[in-house]
Amino acid sequence: MTLLADATTTILPLRLYATLPLWPLLGALLVGLLVVLRRKASATHWPVVLGVAASATLAIVLFLDLPKSTTNAALQEHWKSGVSASQRAGELYAVFTGGASRAPALTYTLYNWISLGDQSSLCNQHWLAVNFYFDGLTAVMLLFVTVVSTIIVVYSIGYMRDHHGQPERGYERFFAFLGLFVFSMATLVLSGNFILLYLGWELVGLCSYLLIGFYYPRPAAAAAAKKAFIVNRIGDLGFALGIFTLYWFLTAGADPLVQHGENPLDYATVFKYVGALEPWQITTVALLLMCGALGKSAQFPLHVWLPDAMEGPTPVSALIHAATMVTAGIYMIARCTPIFGASPLALNVILVLGLLGAVLTATMAAAQYDMKRILAYSTISQLAFMFVGLGCRVPDSAVFHVFTHAWFKALLFLGAGSVMHALSGVIDLRRFSGLRDVLPQTCRTMLIGCLALAGFPLLSGFWSKDELVHAAFERHPVAGLILLATAGLTAYYTFRMFFLCFHGELRLPDDAAQPHEAPLVMIVPLWLLTLGAIFAGYLGVTFAAGGESFLGFIRPHGLLHDYLHDSTIGTPEHGHGGLWLMYVSALVALGGIGLAWARFGQAPETDPDARALGGLWRLWHAKYYFDEIYDYAFVRPLRNLGRVFSATDDYGLDGVIWLVAAVPRSLSFLLHFLQRGALQGYALGMVVGVAVLLLLWNLIGV
Amino acid sequence: MLLPYLLLGAILFVLGLIGFVTRRNLIIMFLCTEMMFQGIILNLVAFGRYPLKGAPTFDGQVFALFLIAVAAAEAALALALVVLLYRYQGTLDANAYRMLKDE
Amino acid sequence: MPTLLIAILTLGAVGLFLALPGGRADTRRVGWVVLAAAGAVLLALLLQLVPGADPRGLFAGFALVAVFAALRVITHRKPVYSALYFILLIFAVTGLLVLLEATFLSMALVIIYAGAILVTYVFVIMLAQQSRPAPYDVKSREPVWGCLAGFLLLILLARQIELFLVPAQRTPLPAPVAEAAGTIEAVGVPLLTEYVVAIQIIGLLLLAALVGAIAIARRRATPRVESEGDE
Repeated sequence: MTLLADATTTILPLRLYATLPLWPLLGALLVGLLVVLRRKASATHWPVVLGVAASATLAIVLFLDLPKSTTNAALQEHWKSGVSASQRAGELYAVFTGGASRAPALTYTLYNWISLGDQSSLCNQHWLAVNFYFDGLTAVMLLFVTVVSTIIVVYSIGYMRDHHGQPERGYERFFAFLGLFVFSMATLVLSGNFILLYLGWELVGLCSYLLIGFYYPRPAAAAAAKKAFIVNRIGDLGFALGIFTLYWFLTAGADPLVQHGENPLDYATVFKYVGALEPWQITTVALLLMCGALGKSAQFPLHVWLPDAMEGPTPVSALIHAATMVTAGIYMIARCTPIFGASPLALNVILVLGLLGAVLTATMAAAQYDMKRILAYSTISQLAFMFVGLGCRVPDSAVFHVFTHAWFKALLFLGAGSVMHALSGVIDLRRFSGLRDVLPQTCRTMLIGCLALAGFPLLSGFWSKDELVHAAFERHPVAGLILLATAGLTAYYTFRMFFLCFHGELRLPDDAAQPHEAPLVMIVPLWLLTLGAIFAGYLGVTFAAGGESFLGFIRPHGLLHDYLHDSTIGTPEHGHGGLWLMYVSALVALGGIGLAWARFGQAPETDPDARALGGLWRLWHAKYYFDEIYDYAFVRPLRNLGRVFSATDDYGLDGVIWLVAAVPRSLSFLLHFLQRGALQGYALGMVVGVAVLLLLWNLIGV
Repeated sequence: MLLPYLLLGAILFVLGLIGFVTRRNLIIMFLCTEMMFQGIILNLVAFGRYPLKGAPTFDGQVFALFLIAVAAAEAALALALVVLLYRYQGTLDANAYRMLKDE
Repeated sequence: MPTLLIAILTLGAVGLFLALPGGRADTRRVGWVVLAAAGAVLLALLLQLVPGADPRGLFAGFALVAVFAALRVITHRKPVYSALYFILLIFAVTGLLVLLEATFLSMALVIIYAGAILVTYVFVIMLAQQSRPAPYDVKSREPVWGCLAGFLLLILLARQIELFLVPAQRTPLPAPVAEAAGTIEAVGVPLLTEYVVAIQIIGLLLLAALVGAIAIARRRATPRVESEGDE
């Protein structure tokens, strides 16, 4: 089914699966049609709900339908063996070229899109196709993207209404954007070449801009949307340059690597030839592509947009943080493992950035009061875990963590949304506490979500996080220790938030109306996600009694890993020998939770951390002053430069143009008195003119 | 032989011009333009009959025919406009239509 | 001769200025006398240039009628008379054209101008006729400047023509044209061979003028009769 294995095909036609991104788009368009037809706003969610649900159904069927294939033994050996990097690149090349004679991955080509290369000659001509890839990675990504999105869309039906059940202003717009968002993400994941990937990538950015700025009359929302878009733009510039240089390296020169008739930016072609590139070329491409992932997945230098993205409606935050957008960066690096795997430098950079980001943002999360911001920083921190995994050559574990993270992070956001909904939009933890009895359902589901995020044993977050920590320990003990400590911090700040919100005495903000539990249409999605938060992890482990197993019956490495191995990721089988770590990380998680209980169990009104840690806490609370540093270092100089240019334009260029225009204008002002409207006056003028000309002619002489 | 015809043509032309400039009745003004045409026709035919070089040709007469056709077209349009203007303001005074100017 | 010509034409200008509508009846009469004097001298001058007794007399007669008719067209206070004098002018020009051996053209001129165009003019004049002489017919507009500029132009034109023709006059007269000159065939052959494109364009122009005239005349203008004949 992939490059690496003998191809068999799916039972249902690939054509059907290729329609997967189409349904949410159709739903979004239909919403627009309904708006044009002036139907009642309260029913406009149906097209999008049905469209996204259709996608989810297709994704589940595809997940089950995708043929199992034998993993490529040569590649597995190659990953396990400790050969040097350059050797590795050569071997990789051999593996991929060796696989070229076999049928390519399950690809559905819709049509030829862009023609490239020299059109005049018959050689060196390429086409870029609109084609879709169906492999394990795609199936896993689609599975959680569409299913979690469906749940979020259903939740939004309840969330986007006021207390009387009337739709908010812009209700239709919201659902249309959600449909577009899911369409973009599905296109991104399904695409079989870099150009289509880039298209989906940009579409996702656009949708995030539209949705973060959903409450655009609020200046903060508009600013947050702009910030998200611009910061993403910085990363996307790198990503685009990466694609360009990749194309250049593959096709440049008298004897290009890509042969006539091959699509030079198709994954299959790229991965086939990437091993033949020079190491510096691979590293350049990998680092540039990584810039895109940093922006989209909100990683360390470009992480600043994600917390501000909380200005959008809460379901959007859930969608961005769990199912779409931020997972795109992880997906892209996982997809491009043949490129990244051949560049040790890029992997190390990813690893270091991941470690830095994990620690920094986890500490930031520990000193915030805004529930959604805490969750946002925790998302960045968890994504940084995944980056560490990618940097440690375990992309399948990273994708596994993306998978489990989607469920419990969506659950946490939707739970926070439920709290917000109950308290009329108040989200500051200092202003309320003890909601346990007021919001019983929300409290229970949130508890499970928090446990999953904290890495409580047997919940989904535990399995995937443990794999990443294990991989980090195998790579380097320091990295492992950092991750382990961050995991403990994660458990601590998660439960700090939970206790501050639900425990202690009942306190309510003054301006909140009578708090009430959310309607059924919001509670049911919460419970569905809770199921995911508990059980999603079991897709990544196997039950086997005895031997080296956790609690005597569970072993790492399950169904999902099989799927991911089958794809072009080509990661080694791993997870053995980390049994002790499972117990350790379980203890760390419990320790973090216990510490949070000791300090915040009664939801004190004054933060004990703020007193105990002093300046350090203030540094965390101020997010290490990143926004201020960026403001001083980049935003203000650029803005001043812009002012200079603007002034030059306004006064310099416009002044010259004004002057040029002023001369004929003043002349015509003098002349306009001659236009009196009397026809004969004009005729007389002509006669005099001709006479004067003749006179001059006579005087000068012919 | 050419000179008297040319002078006569010039006189007719200039008389038409003066009429166009001084008379205020729109119809008379157009009549004056027709008079200018007469002067030109005379000129054209005289030049055809007594060319400065070579044998006489009929080109002058052909052009005069064209000129007559143009005059007919002009008369049709001009009179239609005059009728319209008269219906509009009830006067044929050219000064009454000064408001047609731009501004 | 130039000095004489200039003097004659200046005289003509003064006469025309006096004869133009607007002044009193006796000044207009004075103007006509001046014009007649100027015209007589001019004619005498012109006649010297026409060789042969027979064409000279005919040319003199037609030229006199033409200039007189033209003067009446621009000086007469009643538009109908102006139109009728214009027909007289056409006939005089027709005679001159016959002298120039353009027989077909002369007939065409009579039929088209006198028969078609002028009749339309007369119709329109009748249509717009008022019970008493309209003020805009009685008083002319800026006669001083008009006469001055017009006769300045005429003097310059005459001077130009003279300068232009002095060398040409020395050349022998062209051979008389054959009997067939100016017939339909003689004019028609170049018209339909050499100038066939031009004739198509002229046809198109006439069609456009026709359509335009109908479109304009059909329009219902909102009558805005405020004060008939201000001034």
